[in-house]
Amino acid sequence: MRRRGIFILVILLLGGSLLPPVRAVSAATASPAPAQRILLLFDSLGRGTDQEGNVAELQRLLAAYSAQVTLKPIAGYEPGSMSAYTGVITVVNNDELGITNQAYLQDAAKYRGAVLHVGYRPPAGMQQTLGLKPGVWHGAGASLSIGGFTGIPLDVKKMPYTAAGSGRPYGLWSSADEGMQAPFAVSRGRITYLPYLKQGNFTGMAAAYVLKDWLKFTAEPQTYLVIKEIYPFSDLELLEKLADRLYQSGIPFIASVRPVFGNTDFPAMKRYLEALRTVQAHNGSIVVNAPAVRPPVNTKDRTLRGKMNHFINVLTEGGAVPLGVAAEGYWTYDKEYSTAGMGFFNSAVLYPDGETHYMEQMDTSAVFASAVYSLPPELLQGISRDGKAMPQLPLNAGVTYDLPENEDGLEELLQSLKNEWYTFADYKQASHKVSTDIHTLEAAAGVVKVDGHTLDVDYIPKTVIDDYQYQEKQATSFNTLFSVQNQFFIVVILAALILFGGLLAIGYRLYRRKYLRK
Amino acid sequence: MIDNNLEHTTIRPGLTLAGFRVTPAFVAAFGVLLVTVISLFTLPYIGMADNGDFYRIIYSNGLYFDLPDYDSRYFGYFVKQFGIFQYYNENSSMVVSSQSLFIKLAIFINKLFFSKEVFDIRFQAGIYTLLYVTAIYLLIEAVTFKMSFKRGMLVAVLAIFIFGDTGYTAYFSSFFGESVVMVTMIMVFASWLLLYRKRYNDYAMLAILLISTLILTTSKQQNAPVGMVISLLSVPLILIRRDKLFRWITLLSAGLMMFVGIATYLNISKEFVNINQYHAMTRGVLMESENPETALNSFGINEQYAILKSNTYYDQYGTVDVKSEMLQKDFYSRYGFVSILKYYVTHPDQLGSILDTAAESAYKIKPAAMGNYEMSAGKEFRAQSHFFSLYSTLKEKLAPRTFAFILLWMAVTIGVYMPSFVRSLRTRDYRGMQRLLLILATMLVGLSGIVVSIIGAGDADIAKHEFLFTLAFDLITFQVVSSVIGRGMSSRKSMPAAPPALPATDYTTLNRGVGA
Repeated sequence: MRRRGIFILVILLLGGSLLPPVRAVSAATASPAPAQRILLLFDSLGRGTDQEGNVAELQRLLAAYSAQVTLKPIAGYEPGSMSAYTGVITVVNNDELGITNQAYLQDAAKYRGAVLHVGYRPPAGMQQTLGLKPGVWHGAGASLSIGGFTGIPLDVKKMPYTAAGSGRPYGLWSSADEGMQAPFAVSRGRITYLPYLKQGNFTGMAAAYVLKDWLKFTAEPQTYLVIKEIYPFSDLELLEKLADRLYQSGIPFIASVRPVFGNTDFPAMKRYLEALRTVQAHNGSIVVNAPAVRPPVNTKDRTLRGKMNHFINVLTEGGAVPLGVAAEGYWTYDKEYSTAGMGFFNSAVLYPDGETHYMEQMDTSAVFASAVYSLPPELLQGISRDGKAMPQLPLNAGVTYDLPENEDGLEELLQSLKNEWYTFADYKQASHKVSTDIHTLEAAAGVVKVDGHTLDVDYIPKTVIDDYQYQEKQATSFNTLFSVQNQFFIVVILAALILFGGLLAIGYRLYRRKYLRK
Repeated sequence: MIDNNLEHTTIRPGLTLAGFRVTPAFVAAFGVLLVTVISLFTLPYIGMADNGDFYRIIYSNGLYFDLPDYDSRYFGYFVKQFGIFQYYNENSSMVVSSQSLFIKLAIFINKLFFSKEVFDIRFQAGIYTLLYVTAIYLLIEAVTFKMSFKRGMLVAVLAIFIFGDTGYTAYFSSFFGESVVMVTMIMVFASWLLLYRKRYNDYAMLAILLISTLILTTSKQQNAPVGMVISLLSVPLILIRRDKLFRWITLLSAGLMMFVGIATYLNISKEFVNINQYHAMTRGVLMESENPETALNSFGINEQYAILKSNTYYDQYGTVDVKSEMLQKDFYSRYGFVSILKYYVTHPDQLGSILDTAAESAYKIKPAAMGNYEMSAGKEFRAQSHFFSLYSTLKEKLAPRTFAFILLWMAVTIGVYMPSFVRSLRTRDYRGMQRLLLILATMLVGLSGIVVSIIGAGDADIAKHEFLFTLAFDLITFQVVSSVIGRGMSSRKSMPAAPPALPATDYTTLNRGVGA
């Protein structure tokens, strides 16, 4: 048995060396245990202002660091609850109204855990500790440098900044006329101040550098290529071609595939599975995209668990093994979605929220051992940096493209990847676990196991035979007898009709003769 | 001959009680009113839960869902009160429907007597109930005209049994267009039958017929054929009177009905890209096709969409967002009402099989999907009321569920009324011809309900979409049964004649055939 084990290991190692070169990653990207418990407080969501969405951005960034987040408005803070958290983040988006919740102010003054203040009016204690001199920049724009990224021009309006600080600075803001130069964030010990965060621009990624240290996240972050919008009705040939081209270029990727809950025995589903197996054979890792939720949400509908369980089983039995789930960030703040929809997985790719349709909203997020922060390619496209290659990002990030619709789109995607000099990691090198009612799927160090058996990902696609019987044939009996009977009656009826016709004709003639003679 | 052994009764059967004349029409109307008031206006209130469609009609009419947990009541519980917009209503009209007239009137009365902020749906139910009771009165007046008092009362009891059923009246406490369909369809039937009876002023009856048809046609997009059918079959009404004014008015009315029918149809074409279009394919063509992939190919749609077979637009969790651009581009844009109609015409086997599917639900009056009670009544989610619903229950359980039965029922009914029609034709009694024309029009209106719903929305929501048929079926069957009751089970006893005071020619044909 031991010899056989060594043999398999050698084969696997050889197989691994034949695969396209990918960045080696640590066996597991899970956050250091125990998971951080963060209290995220905000004074306003800044709707209609430049700050709108910054709280949601923080939520998604924290999720990528596997932190469990409890979200509350400052006005709803309950006395004494702060001590249960390892860190507290306060977001102040309103530059006019002060915080009036005394319970919060008192607890915050006594709190000894990690503290991060985002936005206007850092507390006096923090200003003192960090030697802050807060100000508001009213210029039209400023450029940001952080990590390996330099001079990224950003359109900012009414930006709070810190003119001076004595702590550890993160990044640098500078205006075009060099009238303003300020750190992106300042930190000292357990206290950090981040004056400006906006959703959808590079400040989100810059904040990730700050959060990484603030959360003491030590695992090596990875960057993945994510292809989403893969439906059973997509151009599956194009998908296979994309997989092949990426494979030829040595680029591993994650395919976020849309689930199918019914008709999974149809040839159309078989073709979908064939395409996904081909993707898998070309160094693509499958993750199950969350289903589309149709409003109005019926809270009595508890079918999600069964549907997801069925789809994961269908994928697995069809040879395409999912390693994680992909969903919009708000799914982790919904009891039903996070348990019944995402509960099978310990790894997730989290997209920015679109339209939210909660079923059972929670203020505390579900945590994943491995979570990928999805970002659009435009965010990093043509961005100025030190050297040619894309610098390593501070968190597990997924550069996310939609599946192209045609050949031109495919070429464009490949060109874009080539231009940016990304280094993408192989998702299955990290540790993932998926459990359904009948299957356990695992991946680690590039090896995928189904119920403990190593999966051979190599696959040559087959043509799906479409002689499927869509309509059940109704059971019939005495077919021959009825057929003979039918023919017999047809003959009898025809003969009777002819006979009656003849008799009528004769009768009519007799009748005419009788009366005509009269 | 029937005319030789007549029972002598008055034109209007009735019994005078303390100076008040009790007629079958009054009894029927009062009975329906009583049952409806008990079911809709006394605890536990009966109504219909929202299936997600209400917002389309109420927001544009100035109402909104003011319950914070309204979402959790979809399908399960009927909601009685809604908020009234206090500021400028920016919701443009999502659906053009004559139903808005009734909602606006109800809001006006609600504001006058109850509240300016909260709308109670019982005000709307009250309006519908009054109109409905009037329609029932006219119907029974027409059906029992010249019938003996005893037989008239029998018909009145039958009318209460059928039309007082809460399967019908529960619609009044909802924002479904079926309530408008119900009231106006009965008005159309009653006014036409009264024209045939020459019971009231012809101009007044023609006005009711016209207005009811227009409201009925514009109440729902799927009712577009109703205007066209009634318009065509009401043309012979021109001949029932000799005066030119009547003839011109009738001709113009028929023209107006046709115009409104066509206008509603043209509106369908624009509005078709919605829930129903999705169902027309996933719950219609794909459901019945032996090979959905071939069917999709014939529309120029990617065969992979076969996976959507039997999906519904309402599925909470789906592979694709039903409003996505992807479906818009590659799915919805590839087919429409006409191309689906063409598909069924070229695939008669599938048409037959979907017609049978349609026939299975053709006798359901009240859809089982929606609950009838308020949450406060403490009943379970989607609980159905069984108060005064024997008729709808029996109908659903006993009616044969094949399309062949519908054809047979049509053939028998037409056969029953054909002799009197032929006689009227021979004697050029144009008024006497109207009964069969009315029955034919009602049948075609009912059939249009089936055909439009299967082409327009497959088998989804079919029980609700086929409401027009189930109502047409009840009206015609009620008319046939009443004729039998009026004439008596034995052919010896027959219908009473027209009163001697009236010219004999006006009524000779009425007393032939099956009778009144």
